[in-house]
Amino acid sequence: MGLNRRTFLNTILGGGFLGWLGSFFYPVLTFLVPPKIPEANVQSVNAGAIADIPPNSSKILKFGRIPVLLIRTKTGKFSAVAATCTHLDCTVQYRKDRQDIWCACHNGTYNLAGRNISGPPPKPLNQYVINIVDKEVLISKPKQVG
Amino acid sequence: MKRLIMSIFCIHLAIIFMAATALGQEKSRFDKNDQCVICHKDLEAMPENFEESDIHMQKGLSCAGCHGGDSTSDDEEVAKRKGSGFIGVPKGKAIIEMCGKCHSDIAFMRQYQPRIATDQVQQYAKSFHGQKLAKGDTKVATCASCHMAHSIFPAIDPRSTIYSLNIPETCHKCHSDEEYMKEYNIPTNQYDKYVKSVHGIALLEKQDTGAPACNDCHGNHGAMPPGISSIGHICGTCHVNNQAYFSKSKMAIEFEEADLHACEECHGNHEIQKTHDDMVGTGETSTCVECHDEGESAYETAEKIHTELIGLVTAFNSANVLLKKIERVGMDDLDMSYAVKDAKQRLLSARTLVHTFDADRVKVKTDEGLEFAKKALAFGKEELDELDFRRFGFGIATFFMTIVLVALYFKIKDMERDE
Repeated sequence: MGLNRRTFLNTILGGGFLGWLGSFFYPVLTFLVPPKIPEANVQSVNAGAIADIPPNSSKILKFGRIPVLLIRTKTGKFSAVAATCTHLDCTVQYRKDRQDIWCACHNGTYNLAGRNISGPPPKPLNQYVINIVDKEVLISKPKQVG
Repeated sequence: MKRLIMSIFCIHLAIIFMAATALGQEKSRFDKNDQCVICHKDLEAMPENFEESDIHMQKGLSCAGCHGGDSTSDDEEVAKRKGSGFIGVPKGKAIIEMCGKCHSDIAFMRQYQPRIATDQVQQYAKSFHGQKLAKGDTKVATCASCHMAHSIFPAIDPRSTIYSLNIPETCHKCHSDEEYMKEYNIPTNQYDKYVKSVHGIALLEKQDTGAPACNDCHGNHGAMPPGISSIGHICGTCHVNNQAYFSKSKMAIEFEEADLHACEECHGNHEIQKTHDDMVGTGETSTCVECHDEGESAYETAEKIHTELIGLVTAFNSANVLLKKIERVGMDDLDMSYAVKDAKQRLLSARTLVHTFDADRVKVKTDEGLEFAKKALAFGKEELDELDFRRFGFGIATFFMTIVLVALYFKIKDMERDE
């Protein structure tokens, strides 16, 4: 028995409809599955347990698109500032020997609150809010003033 | 009635505006009974560049404060009589003495600025200008040459001739004047070179007040051409790692022995250009080949360093181009941008390490950079694959939709025929 026009049309219509359903629902389902990469517009970042960050040390964390320099001072206090120098966008670093923030590109210096104190940087580094929750360090966006 | 209310309202508004404007402006403490100003204004004989907002005028120091004389008398003979302290227009050493009278006295100056320096005259005496003046050369710069005489503003005031952005222009007034500088037998093209240099462009075009002006290398009151031993330290004020690496390198010793000018030998002085990777190596624009010939180990080192740098630059540029593409097509560029930033940071470090003249140390950093560049390229490739997959999916969906629509069309036709 040969394939008549009606059966052919029904097959095409049914198959096409199923294919279209598949191609429609696949992106919907993949959207519902959490993305493997964190959102760029983050509100806070967990920097880890206090015990894992020794005094007089620092580390650079990804706060969305912004690298943030987390510092634990000699006295154990935490401070977090944007890690990009306000002069020419080099990455700043914590100087353990001087306990300040330093940009190696043009010898710019900031204090631990991110305030520019010497060298070419024209303005301070953005300071992030630190909260300690369950012995873990949480870094949140700088508070908006006004 | 309405007109009257409107008029009163407008007058009030005008008064408030005038009061607000007056409050926002510098209030002149200039004594309106000062006979020096009254007469000189009447005679239209006020000094050139006279500004009532001059810092001395603001603090209540008027003409007689510097020139002496009796400012209460409107009779010139009396005002400038002997015993009135009138000194006229001071010149040369007299300017230094006149300014130093107050500016070298911290007990006097601290009432205006407790933190002010009072060693300007001492520094000036040791400057090239001061030494020449001591020998009787009255053409050299004195206080008023740079600070002006009657329009002096603090260095942080953009109107000041010694505000960082205005300093090159201030020095240029004398130092670019061929006729004026003739007898000193020094170049007069420093300013022309400086404005085209990386520092000049940063300061004057990009208004980066952190960029060095003349005084940052030559000094202010103690201005001198930097000596061989101090050039490295001066550049190292900002380029701290470059100077630290250089000073610990074997090249530093050889430079010292050969009386070479550290940084200046490769980078120049007033015309310092933005550095590029071909400055090192054995190419035409390399500064290494100016001293080293083929066959020397230093020649090979220069070649190795150049190869390492170019390798990383090529990988970094490829990653950067791909990053721009990823951004343009709207794919996730977060991880890739971090990897590119890391590669860039390693490239900067490798370029700084050139000043060690140690190819192995440069290689360690370029290898790290290459790893980040590779990582960035891998992230980019993943994103491009994902983009291709999405495009393919969109094509498939469109295909099926078209098939359904065509089949539906024929199905409807069939159904109409059956009816």
